Amino acid sequence: MAKLECVTTLEGHVDRAWCVAWNPSGTLLASCGGDKTIKIWGQEGENWVCKTVLTEGHQRTVRKISWSPCGNYIASASFDATVAVWSRKEGDFECIATLEGHENEVKSVAWSVSGSLLATCSRDKSVWIWEVTEDEDFECASVLSSHTQDVKHVTWNPIKEVLASCSYDDTIKMFKEEIDDWTCFATLESHQSTVWKICFDQSGSRLASCSDDKTIKIWQEYLPDNQEGVVTTGNNATWKCVCTISGYHDRVIYDIDWSHLNGLLVSSSGDDSIKVFKETDGSDKNAPSFTPMCSVNKAHSQDVNSVVWNPKVEGLLASCSDDGDIKIWKYICTDE
Amino acid sequence: MQSLFYFHFPCMLHNGSCDLAIMASNFSGALQLTDLNDFITPSQECIKPVTIERKPGKVGKIRIEDDGSYMEITNEGVERKLQKAKITLNDCLACSGCITSAESVLITQQSQDELYKVLQENAQLLQAGNGEAQRTVVVSISPQSRASIAAKYKLSINDTALRLNGFFQRLGVHHVLDTTFARNFSLLESCQEFIQRFKESETNKTVFPMLASACPGWICYAEKTHGTYILPYISTTKSPQQIMGSLVKDYLANQLGIPPDKIYHVTVMPCYDKKLEASRSDFYNDMYRTRDVDCVITSGEVEKMLEQEGVSLSQVEPLPLTSNFPCLVNGDVLSHMGGGSGGYLEHVMRFAASQILGHPVDRLQYKTLRNQDFQEVTVEVSGKPPLKMALAYGFRNIQNIVQKVKRGKCPYHFVEIMACPSGCNNGGGQIRPDDGENNKDRLQTVTDLYNSMPSVTPDNYSGVMDVYNEWLGGFGSEKARTILHTQYHEVEKMTNALAIKW
Repeated sequence: MAKLECVTTLEGHVDRAWCVAWNPSGTLLASCGGDKTIKIWGQEGENWVCKTVLTEGHQRTVRKISWSPCGNYIASASFDATVAVWSRKEGDFECIATLEGHENEVKSVAWSVSGSLLATCSRDKSVWIWEVTEDEDFECASVLSSHTQDVKHVTWNPIKEVLASCSYDDTIKMFKEEIDDWTCFATLESHQSTVWKICFDQSGSRLASCSDDKTIKIWQEYLPDNQEGVVTTGNNATWKCVCTISGYHDRVIYDIDWSHLNGLLVSSSGDDSIKVFKETDGSDKNAPSFTPMCSVNKAHSQDVNSVVWNPKVEGLLASCSDDGDIKIWKYICTDE
Repeated sequence: MQSLFYFHFPCMLHNGSCDLAIMASNFSGALQLTDLNDFITPSQECIKPVTIERKPGKVGKIRIEDDGSYMEITNEGVERKLQKAKITLNDCLACSGCITSAESVLITQQSQDELYKVLQENAQLLQAGNGEAQRTVVVSISPQSRASIAAKYKLSINDTALRLNGFFQRLGVHHVLDTTFARNFSLLESCQEFIQRFKESETNKTVFPMLASACPGWICYAEKTHGTYILPYISTTKSPQQIMGSLVKDYLANQLGIPPDKIYHVTVMPCYDKKLEASRSDFYNDMYRTRDVDCVITSGEVEKMLEQEGVSLSQVEPLPLTSNFPCLVNGDVLSHMGGGSGGYLEHVMRFAASQILGHPVDRLQYKTLRNQDFQEVTVEVSGKPPLKMALAYGFRNIQNIVQKVKRGKCPYHFVEIMACPSGCNNGGGQIRPDDGENNKDRLQTVTDLYNSMPSVTPDNYSGVMDVYNEWLGGFGSEKARTILHTQYHEVEKMTNALAIKW
C-alpha cells in the first residue's frame, strides 16, 4: 500500500491558486494565481517559506508558469493576453520581457528542453512558438492555428523538439519544425471532452492526458517501420491511445504529472482529490494497465488545479487549489 | 428576453491562405451560424440579433424553434417568424469584435451573383429598348488573379488576358482592364511618400518604418488591434485596387462622359479581404452615392463563373484588348519588378537609393532572415547611413515587426507587409489546386507564370505619366494628394468583458 502525507500547507494566494511548478533543481516552488502574483517558495530548515513575490507583471490572473531548463527564468501566462519572462538575478526576479500578440487569455506557457524556444497558447485558439534571441529578446517563430477551440496547455517533448498541445476541441496536437515553418503532424482524438493537461513520460515516447471526460489516457508513439505494424505516414510517428484510466475521479481531471524519477502518475481533479497511479508490473507496452496506488479524497477544500512531482526528490509532490492553498505532499510506499 | 446568435469568424491572418477560400465559397450568400458556444470570445464572435419591430404597448413572446429560427407570438397568439438582421461589411469594419476577414462575412453585396444581376438588368433594359439606361460595366483584373487563372487552365499569361477579355465581354461587360495600370500610380506615389517621410524624419519620429498599405488584411488587423501605435507608420498611398477605383470612376468616367454611379466597377482579386477594402467608407462617393469599386470577386469566383457558363477558359475565344488603359504592350501583358505582392520594397528602395543616397542600384540583394517570408535589403553608400528595408509576409512575421515598432526597435525604413504567407500570389481568394496537386506546386506554377511577365518601371509604362499629368496635374499636386491617398482609423476595442473562462 501507499499513501500521500501532507508535509505542509502554505497559504498561497488570496484568490484561486492556479499552478505550481518546481525549478529544475527541485529547490524552489513557484506558484501563481488569481491575485495576479507569482510566489516563490523555498525551504528554510524544515519550514517552507515564501521567498519572494513577483507582482506588477500582469493585469489579470496568472494562469500558468514555467521554469526555463537552466532555472534562471520563469515565464508566466496571464489572462491579460500577455506572457511575462522573469529573469533571476542574485535571488531576485526581474521582468525582462512582455510577450504580446495573443488576442486574449493566455492559458499556458512552456520552455523547450534546450531553453531556446518558448511555446504559448490561448483562448484565441492559437499556439505560438517564440524564439529566444541572444540578447534575451523573444521573436515569434510561428503562429499555429490548428485547434478549433481554446487551447488549454502546451508542453515540449523531453527528448526532441516536438510540441504538444491540448484543447477545448477535445483533441491533442503535435507540432514539429518543417523546412520553413512549424506544422501539425499528429492529431490525437479519443477524449470525449476538453483535454485539460498533457505530459510526456521521461522517454518522450509516451504521453498522458487528462480530461473533462473524467478519464486519463495513455498514448504510445509508434515510429515509422515499427514492429507492431502501426501505420505511419511519411517520416511522422503515429500516436495511439493504448490505455484509458477511468472510474476513479468523479469530476473533471484538471492536471496530471508523470514522474520522470519513478514513473508514477499523479492526477488532480475538480472532485478535490489527488490520486496516484502506477503502471502494473509487466504490463504490455502496447496495452498497458495502471493500478491506483493511493488517493487523498479531500486533498483541498475545493478544485485541485495543479499537481506536480519534484524533479529531484522522489515522491515529493506539490499541489494547489481554488481554495488558494498550496500543499506539499510526500508519497510513501508502505509496501515492502 | 435577449437571445443572440453567434457566428464564427475564421481569421485569414491566422490561417494564411489555407482552407478558407473553400469555406467561404461554400457559405456564399448566407451567414454561417455555428452552435452556441460559451467559449466564443468577444474577439471571435459576431453578435447577430434578430430585428424586432418595436410597437408601443405590445407585449409578446419570442420562441426559439428547433431549427434555430425565432417565432414571435403576440398577445393575440399570432405567430410570426422573425427576420434575421443582416450584417454588412461596413458593420464589420466598424466593429472591433474580430480581427476581420471578409473570408466569412458573407457578403451578398460582393459576389459573382451581384455581377450577374447587373448584367441581367442591362440585358433587360436593352431588350426593353432602353439601352441608354444601362450601367457601363467595367472589370479590372489583378495580375495575381490572372496568374492563378492561367495556372488553373494551363494557359500563358497573355492568352489568359485575351480569353478573360473574351469571356467577360460576351457576358456583357463593356471594359476589361488590368489593375497593373493603377499599380503604377501606387508605386510612384509610394516612392514620393517615402521621400516626403524621409524629409520629415528629423522632426517626426513616427515616419519610419513606413509600412506598406496595399494588403487589406494587414490594414484591418492594424486598425483593430494596434490602433494609434501603428497607424501613423502605414503608408497613406492607396492600394492598386482603390486607385483603379478612382481611375475608373473619375478619370474614365470623365473620358466616357458617364456619371460615376452609372458605372458598375468590378475588380478580380486574389484576396477576400479586398472586398472589405472596397467597402470602406473612405472609398465611397457621397455625391454620387457610389463606391470606387462596387464589387470584388476573387480568382476562385471567376472559376465559378466559368463553371456556371459551362466552359473552360481554354475554350473561350480570345478577344483583343481595346481599352483606355493600355494592358498589352507589343502583345505582352506587363508587370513590375519585385515579386508577386506588387514590388513595393523594390521600387521604394531603388528610388530612395538614387534620390537619397545618390546611388542607383542595378540589383537589390534580398537576404532571407528567420524564414522565406522575412527578407531584408540593405543599400549602403560610404559616408551615409544605410537604407534598410524588409519584406514581412504572414502573421508571425507581422508580429515581430509590429512589436519592434511598438518598442521603437524596428531597424527598417520601409517594410512591405502582407498578411498571407508567400504574399499575394498565395492569397486566400486564389483558385484551389486540382485534385492530386498540392498547394505548394500550384503556388510555384502561379509564381512562375506571374514572373513570366516582362516588367517595366512605372514611369515607363505606356500612358501612365500622361494620365498622371493630365488627370492629377503632376507629382505632389493637391489632386494627387486627394486622389491617391487615404487614411486609417483606429477601431476602439470593445470593453464588455464576457464571463471569464478558465
